[in-house]
Amino acid sequence: MASDGIADTAVRVACDVGGTFTDICILNERSGRMHVAKVPTTADPIEGVLAGITAGGVALKDMILFSHGTTLATNALITRRFPPAVMITTSGFRDVIEIRRGNRDDLWDTYKEMAKPYIRRRDRLVVEERVDYAGTVVVPLDEAGAREVATIIKRRGVKTVAICFANAYMNPANERRMRDILADIVPDAVASLSSDIMPEIFEHERFSTTVANAVLAPVVGSYARRLESRMHDGGYQEDVLLLHSGGGVMTTRMAEQFAARLAASGIAAGAIASRFVAEAAGFTNSIGLDMGGTSTDVSLCDHGTLRVTKEWFVEYGYPICFPSIEVLTIGAGGGSLAWIDAANSLRNGPQSAGSSPGPACYGRGGTSATNCDANVVLGRLSDRLAGGKVSLDRALATRALESGVAGPLGMSVEDAALAVLKVANANMADAVRLLSIRRGYDPRDFALVAFGGAGPLHGAALARDLSIPVVLVPPNPGVTSALGCLLVDIQHDVTKMYLSNVADVSIDYLEESFRELEIEGRERLRNEGVSDDRMVFQRKIDMRYLGQWRALSTTVASPVTSLDEAVAAFHAEHGREHNYSRPDAPVEIYRLSVIATGLTTKAAFAEFELIEEAAVPDATRSVRFDELPQAIETPVYDRDRLKAGMKVVGPAMIDQLDSTILVPPGVTAEVDRSLTIVMRIPLA
Amino acid sequence: MASDDTNLDPVTFEVLKNAYVNIVDQMAEQIFRTCYSFVIYSRDFSSALCDAQGDTIMQGSGDIAAHVGTLHYTCKAVIDHFRGDVHPGDVFVINDVYLGGTHFNDTRIVRPIFYRDELLGFAQANGHWADVGGAVPGSFNVNAIDHMGEGLRITPTRVWSKGVCLEDVCRLIASNTRAPADIIGDMQAQAEATRVAEQEICRLVEKYGLPTIKRSFGAVQDYVEVLTRQRIAALPDGVWETEDYIDVDPGSGEGLVPIRVQMTIRGDTVHYDLSRSHPKTISSFLNACFGGSFAAVVAGTKMQFPEIPLNSGFYRVVTMDLGPEGSVVNATWPTPVAGFCSGPFEKIMNSIFELWAEIMPERAMACTFNLDYLLIGGRDGRQSGHKYFMWYDWMVGGWGARNGRDGWAATGPVFGVQLGTQPFEGQERLAPVLTRQNELRVDSGGPGEFRGGMGVEKGVVMTQIDRTVVSYCCDRERSVTWGLWGGLPSIPHGVWVNPGQPNERYLGSLFSNVGLETGDLVTRPSAGGGGLGDPLERDAALVCEDVIDGYVSIERAAKDYGVVVKEIDADLAQYEVDHQATLAQRTYIRANRLAWLAQDAEVIAAKYRAGELDMLDLIRTHGVIVHWGSGELLANTTRQFRAMLMRRTVPYWGKSVAAVGKDASVTLQTA
Repeated sequence: MASDGIADTAVRVACDVGGTFTDICILNERSGRMHVAKVPTTADPIEGVLAGITAGGVALKDMILFSHGTTLATNALITRRFPPAVMITTSGFRDVIEIRRGNRDDLWDTYKEMAKPYIRRRDRLVVEERVDYAGTVVVPLDEAGAREVATIIKRRGVKTVAICFANAYMNPANERRMRDILADIVPDAVASLSSDIMPEIFEHERFSTTVANAVLAPVVGSYARRLESRMHDGGYQEDVLLLHSGGGVMTTRMAEQFAARLAASGIAAGAIASRFVAEAAGFTNSIGLDMGGTSTDVSLCDHGTLRVTKEWFVEYGYPICFPSIEVLTIGAGGGSLAWIDAANSLRNGPQSAGSSPGPACYGRGGTSATNCDANVVLGRLSDRLAGGKVSLDRALATRALESGVAGPLGMSVEDAALAVLKVANANMADAVRLLSIRRGYDPRDFALVAFGGAGPLHGAALARDLSIPVVLVPPNPGVTSALGCLLVDIQHDVTKMYLSNVADVSIDYLEESFRELEIEGRERLRNEGVSDDRMVFQRKIDMRYLGQWRALSTTVASPVTSLDEAVAAFHAEHGREHNYSRPDAPVEIYRLSVIATGLTTKAAFAEFELIEEAAVPDATRSVRFDELPQAIETPVYDRDRLKAGMKVVGPAMIDQLDSTILVPPGVTAEVDRSLTIVMRIPLA
Repeated sequence: MASDDTNLDPVTFEVLKNAYVNIVDQMAEQIFRTCYSFVIYSRDFSSALCDAQGDTIMQGSGDIAAHVGTLHYTCKAVIDHFRGDVHPGDVFVINDVYLGGTHFNDTRIVRPIFYRDELLGFAQANGHWADVGGAVPGSFNVNAIDHMGEGLRITPTRVWSKGVCLEDVCRLIASNTRAPADIIGDMQAQAEATRVAEQEICRLVEKYGLPTIKRSFGAVQDYVEVLTRQRIAALPDGVWETEDYIDVDPGSGEGLVPIRVQMTIRGDTVHYDLSRSHPKTISSFLNACFGGSFAAVVAGTKMQFPEIPLNSGFYRVVTMDLGPEGSVVNATWPTPVAGFCSGPFEKIMNSIFELWAEIMPERAMACTFNLDYLLIGGRDGRQSGHKYFMWYDWMVGGWGARNGRDGWAATGPVFGVQLGTQPFEGQERLAPVLTRQNELRVDSGGPGEFRGGMGVEKGVVMTQIDRTVVSYCCDRERSVTWGLWGGLPSIPHGVWVNPGQPNERYLGSLFSNVGLETGDLVTRPSAGGGGLGDPLERDAALVCEDVIDGYVSIERAAKDYGVVVKEIDADLAQYEVDHQATLAQRTYIRANRLAWLAQDAEVIAAKYRAGELDMLDLIRTHGVIVHWGSGELLANTTRQFRAMLMRRTVPYWGKSVAAVGKDASVTLQTA
């Protein structure tokens, strides 16, 4: 597979910086073999990234690709740690981002606060100007006022500015003129224009996205520049690629301009990795279940396409409307607390023991029972984790379950542990149901990719509950997200509002509109250094029944010659997603979009010969399974010693450095060519 | 209680309870994604799973507050009307306010849930249809004298029979509205949402067995009952009482209309007695039938216990007595009640907040702005043929200040905080109405040691209109959003046309079909929240921060808070407190403020007419209410308003909120 001219040491490196750990995935270009490293995240995340690369035994000069997912932008938004920014808006609309849509996610708690806008009122300045709904300038930009505002910005020493004018999605002229005046007076300020960032109708959503972009621009821009220069100093010669929420990457050249696209970077990586793992095992339909210590991320991939949403936010009320891979996060993880409420019902989460004090079995002072403790009590988790680096105290776990659950409910500790996990699994199954069945997907057509530290312990039980026939556990469940960063192309999404009844659409005008979007996409890819022959454009039309509010997206061929197919596809999609369609009702186009992709050279992952050799357990421990009336002495396998083609027959446990896999009775786990473990779950 | 039921283990119970939450939320998600009514799209809808008796097993976690406590009534009405004649595949529709509905727009689709041939319960999807006919677009007819003028009353009616849509019936309903195609679309969207619930329940039956599912329906209600009783039992017994006001009964001259709420906690129950409220219905549509009133009682109480799920178990613990029929809170056929949400509902909710502030001072909250609803309808001069347009609008506003915290700014009404505003860019496409301003209104937050949340000013210009009128449904232009524990009121609601121009008109807070011309500017504020605690106790540094952000003007900082703020450099947002002047100003206000509230109201009104005093001086300093357009004194109203201030505000002056909160607990212990 390896082509000539590639050094044996050449590697692709992907790095996922999380809140606690920095995960590194290293793929040897010649052998296709992957190995991983995990180091603590550092105060300046760049140090952690470099430490991780070193820990992985890689020299920067040997990297032929470096791709990076990071929660930097998310954290900056949550903590409000970003340099001061100013918003300039149309007179009369200073408070659009503070008024928001005015609604709340918590409906009943009058003492729960809403997050504050990213830019304070004192930093929101106004100018006279107005564009109407049709794009006509009804009030020209007051140039004197604009200069005054720019001068104030100069006096305040602010370097990043959001320019958000009413109806600018229809006509960007006033926003652009404002930008030029600002550039005259404050040449080193970076401007984010709502008509560039997200040229779509609805002021709050557009302004909010633009404001998020403006406050993140200096954070992301300086981080990207520093990271790239450290990389280049060390001998890495290619682009530093940054994973964005849409599931593609950007180079550092575009990252500052579209900084808010990085806001869901960390979450997207897991979903992409999950798709890859499933496809490598031969499944184009997959549900990703990434279960960590405090929460679980669920994603869905249908025929190779991850679901995408435009309704995304870091804090409720402040949407960031760039297309983002749809991930449903629920408060259920290994550390979620099991508790009895006032009416004696057994609850699970969303509170979590977190990493401090952590589950009771960690022996760091936690006394409340968690899912992790339940797994320890049942013997599903060994008392030694991470190859012996962490030891778990079964006595403490037992005590926590006894006092917190078993005692109050009058059951044995073992039954209490089973009960705790049953509730936790049911909550996760409900989340999967919301993303799958509710959207018209039948779980029986999917494979469940179970990863994150805790996913492989729960995967089989969840699959059985949901009638999912196959569970896949990737080779390194705890660092799978990092893998996601390795696998993607450069991608930009460009959109245009196109509100028109399908019956009134001029195909020529539609084609012209798509071409304009492609020109914009091409321009962005060129800025990224993508050559024309590696550019791919995909066209999409969002449609809805005339009178409806929400639209569904369908792909159309290029060039557009007729809308018949797209309309038929829309009816079908509505039928699938919402249980019904209205074939006789008029259909309206809402928005056009083009996904502009710059193809990167794909890595080749090693495939291993399947061998016919029996797997041999390394030890046994007493484990209680849901299906059996009592704990039994169960074979325990070391994953590192399981080779492609080997089979493990349940009941069995498979331990590995960063996770533990539960193979229920009657289930056979098989190691496939890419070392993923495949469990086929007999349907109940 | 779950664990008491030997046949339903606590784990299965918890799993099923969560599954029911999941099901009603799935219904909500489906409606939100497929609806036609922009009102439903703004989240004015609710969903419920009911048992075979019609009692609620679970209500949507995102439901509008004004619908809670009513879905079991409408389900029971359907059961009563079709007893013995309910079949798999049937779907019913009902919006009857005299059978437990809220107002006619809130139309409920009810589907029986069958497993094989056994009726297990009902799924209900309720949504605010944009129009249900009647005399005015949007079916909010201020001038209705009976329900015929409001819109189509739908008594329990079958719309699907054994899986077949009864198109003639649907057409009849849709044809009596102004947007028949949308109504058909919404009916289908709601019916499909209830189908989701039926499918999910059947799946659970297959998995857990019929007996378990049927038992769990009751167990989930018992669970909520137990939780609620425990919380109430932990509170001391006692009787508390307060009153709030609707602005006026247009048929009875000026004077505030009282809504009186007495709350009794005894043992593990809480009972509300509204029987001493204004004894007759008023001659506007700001009346409530029992459904609307009970919704307010349930929602107001639920806000004290945010973590308790809502179902009929709650209604076994929280009870009410509305007194004789025919009162403003217990209207009967054929009284119009579409405005219940602006009238009694708001007043009952805010009264309940005030009562609970005595019991749980740590969760105290002053009054919140009033729900409003403005409609401009006419012909769109931008289009050939001047097609009909309707521009509906409602505001978000300020919530009451709280113990230790300012109120929320620009938030949905107590009617339901998920009721989002509409984007003006969307509105401008659909109507010749250009938004000129959509901004927080300076000084709208009621002053207090903790400030009420900010209200919003929205002003719109008619660009090219033809035969166009404006109507408005609100309240509290006179019964101004009040402060608590020494806090001051915010600002009055009310619509102005061309303010400050020669053709200025003040239209008030309740009117319909007033003509407009191209070029007219129609503007109105939403009130801020009332203040909590004596404003002279507010930290001067916080007042200065409010001035920097433009929430409070320099002028009102001095008048309301006694804080003198100096501008250093406005461009750099630099201001500072003049501490010495502040001390003097606060001393001056303390010495005089009680006397200001007793000054001759007619003299004060005359100064308003002469431009020497402004609206906020009258309300906050003198407790005087006038007709804001003409300046004519409203003598009865002023007397009542001043009495209200003497009760809610004056006794607490000179005390910090921390001290008042402690006193409240003390009062409680001796109650």
